[in-house]
Amino acid sequence: MTGRLAKAAVLTAAVLSALPAEAAPGVPVRVRVIRGSRQGPPALDPQLQDLQAQLGHTAYLRWEQVGEHRADMDFNKPLDVPLPSGDRLQILILESRKETVTFEVRVPAQKTQSKLTISKDKRIVHQVTPEKDGSAYFVTIRPWP
Amino acid sequence: MKDCTTYAPMLGAREGELAAGERTGLAGHLEACAACRARLADERALEGLLGEALLRAAARRDFGDFADGVMARVGATQPSGLRALLAFFRQHRVIAAASALAPTLAALALIVYFQTRGTTSGPLAGDFEVTSEEHSPMVLDTSDGPLILLGDSDEPEGT
Repeated sequence: MTGRLAKAAVLTAAVLSALPAEAAPGVPVRVRVIRGSRQGPPALDPQLQDLQAQLGHTAYLRWEQVGEHRADMDFNKPLDVPLPSGDRLQILILESRKETVTFEVRVPAQKTQSKLTISKDKRIVHQVTPEKDGSAYFVTIRPWP
Repeated sequence: MKDCTTYAPMLGAREGELAAGERTGLAGHLEACAACRARLADERALEGLLGEALLRAAARRDFGDFADGVMARVGATQPSGLRALLAFFRQHRVIAAASALAPTLAALALIVYFQTRGTTSGPLAGDFEVTSEEHSPMVLDTSDGPLILLGDSDEPEGT
């Protein structure tokens, strides 16, 4: 009996120690391209209702969605997102943990790079073009939408 | 006679067993009662005979190999080495199970410790790092997540 118990203990320890520290599956991500404008009466695209509180912190009054992308992102494999301005945006997942995910957002045309760690239930709103004629483009990134 | 029924049970009393009053009463009674004196003499004689008989019986017995015999019997019933260890575990199964589980629990504790340490050492929600060569970016940490604004361009327009 003692021998069996000892073998079981050793086997259990070996199996547990062989388990990976964290699983690394793809992360489903929803990316929306939106435009904010200072001109005209305040208006919010119905598709952007979930962003109302976050967008309310900006000086832009009118918001509309101009594009949407959904992807299962792998680690360190960039997702290219075209912008209406002709520029491109690169989104990369650097790290994903139990409760958080770390994104890198690159806007090469603006020589801007962001590294942002958010909880699973949060989203990123990132301006990606400078303001022109009272309007600017943004992207919003939501993991596990 | 009444005094005899009172003092006769005290005749076999040991030293210090009687109270001072009883001792005085018994001594007075013995001076006056020949029957009790005779009974006391008989008891003392019998006590001496018994003591001597026991000593003689003990002297007849040879205890020279007593200790060796006991040790030989103890040694014959105790297994040695690995068998002794297995016999001990057979008799104490709970201790055996705990001994077998202890390394497993220790390994589990180490795994949990290192995994927890790894988690806390990584980036935390709310860690934001924004760099730009052309703008002065601003980060607003709202309750729904970060809001990054590019801010003013560092370069004059038209360049």
